[in-house]
Amino acid sequence: MGIPGDTYATLRANADAVWEEWNRPLRPRINLAEDTSSLAAGAHAVWVALNRRAEERGAAIDLGGTAGYGLQWLNPLADITWPDGTRILYGPVTLDAVDMLIDEAVGRTGAADRLAIGTLAGSRAGIASIEAHPFLAEERERRLTVRVGRTDPASLEHYIATGGYFATARALDRHMEPQAIRQVVIDAGLWGRGGAAFPAGVKWNFLAGAPGDEHVLVCNADEGDPGGWANRVLLEGDPHLIVEGMLIAALASNAHYGYIYIRSEYPLAVERMRAAIRDAEAAGILGNDVLGSGFRCTFEIVMGAGAYVCGDETGLISSLQDGRGMPRIKPPFPANAGVLLKPTNVNNVETYANVPLILMHGAEWYRQYGTQADSGTKIFSLSGNIERVGWMETPFGTPLKAVLAACGGVAGGGVLKAIQPGGPLIGYLPGRLVDTLTLERAPFAAQGAGLGSGGIVFIGAGSCSVDLNVLFAEFVELESCGRCTTCHGGNQRMHEIFRRTGDGLGRTEDRHNLELIASTLQFSNCAHGQLSPTIMRNTLRHFEAEYNAHLHGTCEALRCPGLARFRITDQSDPSLVEAQAICPTGAIVGEAGNRIVEDSACIRCGACTDVAPRAIVREAAPAGTELPRRAPAAPPGTASAFGVPPLSWQATGLARPEGGMGGPAPITLFV
Amino acid sequence: MPLETEATAELRALLADIKPDATDLLGALHRVQHHYGYVSAEAMRVIAEQLRVSVAHVYGATTYYADFRTTPPPRTNIGWCSGPACRLRNSVGIRDAMLATLGIAMGGQTNDGMVGVTQMQCNGSCEQAPQVWVGEAVVGRLNAARAIRLARALRDGADTSSVISETASTNGGGH
Ligand SMILES: Cc1cc2nc3c(=O)[nH]c(=O)nc-3n(C[C@H](O)[C@H](O)[C@H](O)COP(=O)(O)O)c2cc1C
Ligand code: FES
Repeated sequence: MGIPGDTYATLRANADAVWEEWNRPLRPRINLAEDTSSLAAGAHAVWVALNRRAEERGAAIDLGGTAGYGLQWLNPLADITWPDGTRILYGPVTLDAVDMLIDEAVGRTGAADRLAIGTLAGSRAGIASIEAHPFLAEERERRLTVRVGRTDPASLEHYIATGGYFATARALDRHMEPQAIRQVVIDAGLWGRGGAAFPAGVKWNFLAGAPGDEHVLVCNADEGDPGGWANRVLLEGDPHLIVEGMLIAALASNAHYGYIYIRSEYPLAVERMRAAIRDAEAAGILGNDVLGSGFRCTFEIVMGAGAYVCGDETGLISSLQDGRGMPRIKPPFPANAGVLLKPTNVNNVETYANVPLILMHGAEWYRQYGTQADSGTKIFSLSGNIERVGWMETPFGTPLKAVLAACGGVAGGGVLKAIQPGGPLIGYLPGRLVDTLTLERAPFAAQGAGLGSGGIVFIGAGSCSVDLNVLFAEFVELESCGRCTTCHGGNQRMHEIFRRTGDGLGRTEDRHNLELIASTLQFSNCAHGQLSPTIMRNTLRHFEAEYNAHLHGTCEALRCPGLARFRITDQSDPSLVEAQAICPTGAIVGEAGNRIVEDSACIRCGACTDVAPRAIVREAAPAGTELPRRAPAAPPGTASAFGVPPLSWQATGLARPEGGMGGPAPITLFV
Repeated sequence: MPLETEATAELRALLADIKPDATDLLGALHRVQHHYGYVSAEAMRVIAEQLRVSVAHVYGATTYYADFRTTPPPRTNIGWCSGPACRLRNSVGIRDAMLATLGIAMGGQTNDGMVGVTQMQCNGSCEQAPQVWVGEAVVGRLNAARAIRLARALRDGADTSSVISETASTNGGGH
C-alpha cells in the first residue's frame, strides 16, 4: 500500500509529458477520427491511404487517432496539429483528400482549406474556431465530451493529463466516506440516463446498505434504442471516463466487481473499453490495490448478442446469468437480488460518466447547467430528415427549436412533420411542438412521451405515421422476450393491424382494438410490454386524421404499400429501358411505347423511379388496385438467420376495396 | 457417451475455460460463432457440459439472441438496417427489392448459399442512411436500384470488395 496522492502524482507527471507532446508535436501530426460512424464513411481506407502516401512521399509527419467530434455528416474527420500548437479540424476527408491533407500538414498552408471545419486550438486567419460552427451553437461547454475528438481514446495518459482519475485519487487520499460521495451525487441532482430517470445517488444508497461484501456494479451499455447513440460516443471516445465513473461508484457503494455489458453492434466500443480496463489495471488504477489505497476493484466486459430487452436491467442481469435475457418482475430489486443473486446496481453509461465530473468539481458546479429538476448536460444524438446528422452535448432545458436549427433544419427545407424522441418505447410527437418543447423531462411527459436516452429522430413531411407505426410495432413485437402473452401477443396484433392499415385494409373496429391492446399491455411484466403502445397512443392522439385517412383509402405521403402504386407517365423516356431491367419482379411489362407497371407484380420498392424519375410516378392507388406482392414474413421469434429456405414471392391476390374496409361497429369485449 | 470426434475435441479445446456461474455463456456462443460461422448442435452440447446445464438451456439461449445462427452462414451476408433514419429514406423498398431479387425471406439465403439477408439494428451511423452492411462494411446512402444491383452482383458471384467499391456512393456531404 502507498499513498494514493503520490501514486497519482507519478502517473500525472508522466501523462503531462505525453500530453504536451500531443499538443505541441515535434512534427506535424494528422489525427484521423475513428469511431463507428467514421468507419461507416470509409475511415479505415483513409487510414491505410494516409499511411501509404505519407511513406511514399517521405512526408515528415506523424499519424495519430481520435474519435469523432460530433459532426457526423462531415465524416470522415481528421485534424492536423502543428508544432506551434495550432490544430484544425477537417472533413470530409475522403480518399481523394488524403494528399491535400498531407500537403497542408507539411506546410503548404491553405492546401486543405476547402475542407477546414474549424480550429480546435490556436488560430488561423480565415478559419473560425470550432465553437463558432453552427452545428455547435447550442453547446455551452463540453463537459462529458470534453475529450471526445480531442484526445486519443486509447491513451490513458491523455485521460490523466486532462484531469482524469484526479477525483478518485483525491477521494482515496482523503479517505472520503462512501456516504459523502453518494451525497455529492445526490446534491448534484444526477438522475439515471438510461430512461427511467431514477436519482443515481439514491440507488447507490440501496446497494451500499445491502448485506454482504459481494456488491456488484453493472454498466448498462446495451443502448438498444434505434436512433440513439449517446452512449457510443463515450464508449468509443472517452472509455476511461466510464471506468472512472464506475470506480467512484464502487467506492461509494462498497462494490469490488463490475460488469460492462456492451451491445454487439458496437465492436469498437468493446475493443476500446477492454483496452481501457487493461491499461488501468496495468497502471494500478484498477485491481487489488487501487492507486495504492488497498481498495480492490475489477471490471469485466460482456458483449451482448442482439436483444433489446437485455437493456432492461433485469433482462441484462438474466443475460449475464448464462441464459435468455428475459426481464422479470420487480421486486426483488437488483440491490437485493442481482447478478448471481448478489446485491447489484445497474446504471447507464452516461450516468457513470457524469460522476467523475461531479466529484471533481462539486454539486454546485454541476448545477450551473440545466434546470432545477434536470441539472447538468446531456448528449443528444440527432438523426432523420435533417441537414446535419450528429451528436451534441447541451444543457437540459435547451429549446428543441434551436437544436433543429443547429442541425440545419429539415433536409431540403421542408416542413417538420414529427419528432421521435427516445427510442421505440418513448414517443412520437407532432412537429409543431418543436416550437415550444425544451429538452427536459417535464414538457415531454406532459405530451405522453419522454426524453428516453437522448436520441431524437426528426421526421419530414414525406413520411407516413402509419408506416412508422409498422416499423415500431414490428420492433416491439420482435424484441418481446415472449414471457407475457400481453406483450408478445398484443404486439403481434398491434403490428398486424398497422400492416393491414398500410395495405388499405384497415377496419373501423381496429381503433377500439388498438386501445384494448394498449390497456392490456400495461399488465405486462416489464416496461417493454408496458411502454410498447406509447408510439401508437401518441399517433392516435396527435395524428388521428392521418390514421383515419388510411381507413378511407388515403396515404398522403404515398408510403403505404397498399395505398400507392407506380404509373408510367412518359412512354418516350429512354430511361424506361433501365427501369424495366432493374425491376426485381418483372412488373414493368410491354414493348417500347406501351409499357405498363403491373400492380399485382409490383412490390412498391421504388427502384424504377430511382432510375427513371421523370417517366414514372408514385401515385395514390385507386380502389380495386391489386395489393403488392409480399415476401414471406421473417421467421417467428427472431430477426436472425435460421436457415429459412428460399421462397418465391407470392402475389397476394387481394385488391383494396372501395372506401376502405368500413366494417361493423366495434365489438365491446371488456374495458 | 459417444466416441469423441475430432470436431468435439476441437470444440472442447476452444471452450476449455468456460465455467459455470461465471457469466461465460454469451462469450462462449460468440467465440463459437466467430470460429465456425454458426453455433452447431454439437457446440451447444459442449457448452452445456462446460456450464453444467442442459443442452435445452443452451439451445434456448442461442435461439433467443438475434446474433446467433444455428446453420452455416452464406458466403456473403447483407445486413439490412431496420432503424428509423433508414426507414425515412425508403429502407423498406430497399429490403423488399433485395429479398425479391434473391427470392428469399428475411433471414434466409439463396439455395447455393451465395447471399443471405439478415435484419440489423441501427448503430448510430444514421448520416449514411439508408444503409446496409455487406459483410462488415457499410454501404450507405443507398437507394432501391443500387440495392438491387448489389444483390444481383453478389448472387452472381462477385466478390464483396468489388461490389462495395462499385456501389459505394461518395461519402460525406457539404458544409
Ligand atoms: C426494454 C427496455 C430497454 C432498456 N434499454 C436500456 C438501455 O439500452 N440502456 C440503459 O441504460 N437502460 C435501458 N433501460 C433502462 C434500464 O432498465 C435501467 O433503468 C437503467 O439501465 C438504469 O440505469 P440509470 O439509472 O443510470 O438510467 C431499458 C429498459 C427497458 C424496459
Ligand atoms: S437508422 Fe439506419 S443507421 Fe441509424
